[in-house]
Amino acid sequence: MTKNNIRLAASFRDPNGFIFKQDGKLYRQVNQSYTSEYSLLMESGLYAKLVKAGLLISHEETDVHPVEPAQSFKVIQPEYIPFISYPYEWSFGLLKEAALKTLSIQKRALKAGMTLKDASAYNMQFVRGKAVLIDSLSFDIYHEGEPWVAYRQFCQHFLAPLALMAHTDIRLSQLLRVYIDGIPLDLASRLLPYRSRLNFGLVTHIHFHARLQKQAANPTEQRDTNAGRMTKKGMLGLIENLKSTVKRLEWKPAGTEWGDYYQITNYSDAAFQHKQSLVSNWISQVGPKQVWDLGANDGTFSRLASDKDILAISFDIDPAAVEQNYRKAKEKKEQNIVPLLLDLTNPSPAIGWHNRERDSLMERAPADMILALAVIHHLAISNNVPLSQTADFFADTGKWLVIEFVPKSDSQVQKLLSSRKDIFPNYTREAFEEAFAERFSIREKTAVEESERFLYLMEKK
Amino acid sequence: MIIFASHLLSGLASPDLYLDPGSGSILLQLLLAALLGAGVLLRSQWSKIKKLFKGKDSTEEDSDDDEE
Repeated sequence: MTKNNIRLAASFRDPNGFIFKQDGKLYRQVNQSYTSEYSLLMESGLYAKLVKAGLLISHEETDVHPVEPAQSFKVIQPEYIPFISYPYEWSFGLLKEAALKTLSIQKRALKAGMTLKDASAYNMQFVRGKAVLIDSLSFDIYHEGEPWVAYRQFCQHFLAPLALMAHTDIRLSQLLRVYIDGIPLDLASRLLPYRSRLNFGLVTHIHFHARLQKQAANPTEQRDTNAGRMTKKGMLGLIENLKSTVKRLEWKPAGTEWGDYYQITNYSDAAFQHKQSLVSNWISQVGPKQVWDLGANDGTFSRLASDKDILAISFDIDPAAVEQNYRKAKEKKEQNIVPLLLDLTNPSPAIGWHNRERDSLMERAPADMILALAVIHHLAISNNVPLSQTADFFADTGKWLVIEFVPKSDSQVQKLLSSRKDIFPNYTREAFEEAFAERFSIREKTAVEESERFLYLMEKK
Repeated sequence: MIIFASHLLSGLASPDLYLDPGSGSILLQLLLAALLGAGVLLRSQWSKIKKLFKGKDSTEEDSDDDEE
């Protein structure tokens, strides 16, 4: 077993340190090359201020043996994050929050004589209801006169996707899945509409920025080794301008297919109440630590878990639903719900170097418990997935399963079948139970009042 | 413009730069900072000017407007 095996696959670019796993816990080795920076971070009070403001995760210094002792200065243990998500899974609001917080951190760092050496969206995570910086080694010593090394990265990871989501199409956040270091500025510039050129911030940080990048790529002159100077006030001006440019970007969660779902469901009040109480009771009965709500829409059922202080990861395919979920979470200052974008028929794959830098959804599974409410018919009918394969998928994703069977007689399924040939003779409750019994033990089964639907509690075999 | 710009481009001080900042990006920053830095200067002077008028009653601290 080589040394590389306990280093985390995503943690390799920074020579100042890396994350590794030991005895199931995550640690960060801080290398000797980072000694002065680390000392300044701690002694200047910047670390304490950022942690107090909820902008940076906390860490403890430990006696754990380093993976590479020859280079090691210290081993620290960062606060444990129970679920990792990626920028292409975030709603508009969450990406915007992460962007603004990155800028706030940079501003505070400058006050303490430090500067962020990178501005990657992957350095931020959504923890206890807030976007927070998780890379404690991201701070460099600031030397007045230096430009912000991370400016380009900030524009690609944050500004470009946000501008595209706000001005072109909300779905363009998915470009972040393709471009591992953020959206190339020339591409963003091309995709943005003409009216984006009326905005000073977008013109400079995206359009003009893209042009200068192109010109610099074909230098006609030998580069001068004299440093160009940028005062601290200049840097602060730049940060302020980035901040106001990001703040102005808005997106209203409306006009998408599932945005108004709960206004148009076919549930009577009694059916809805019954379903809620069943799910709530089963969650209490099983007592999971983490619940994944697949097809969560705006998180109504996810909150049956999160309101009990159980971490709920709330997935949906519709950006408007995810955005509404996020806004509700911020408004109520909820700490236990993580609204994320996910297409169940095409979940986040593993990407990056060696296909190992960013985990696929399945690699982050299994969850203690899955809620699969009102989704089976979308998988089996709209997407032609055989019931046995949906059972396999859920078995790989969670240990306990709360699943709702939606029969053909249900009006929602009738809608799905209205424009196509019914090629699903085996889509019946009996076939469903048989398929799932292969992988699960059916612990509970209840007909939902005033509805054709059945709710099941299953435990993986 | 290119000739002028290349004189502004820095061979950056720290040799062990972990991230490629991009030379076009550096150039843009230097231009913007010169432009926008003036704005920040004005704002910080403005609070001093206001203090002059408010007299010794003013104990306003430079607030750090951070988002929640």
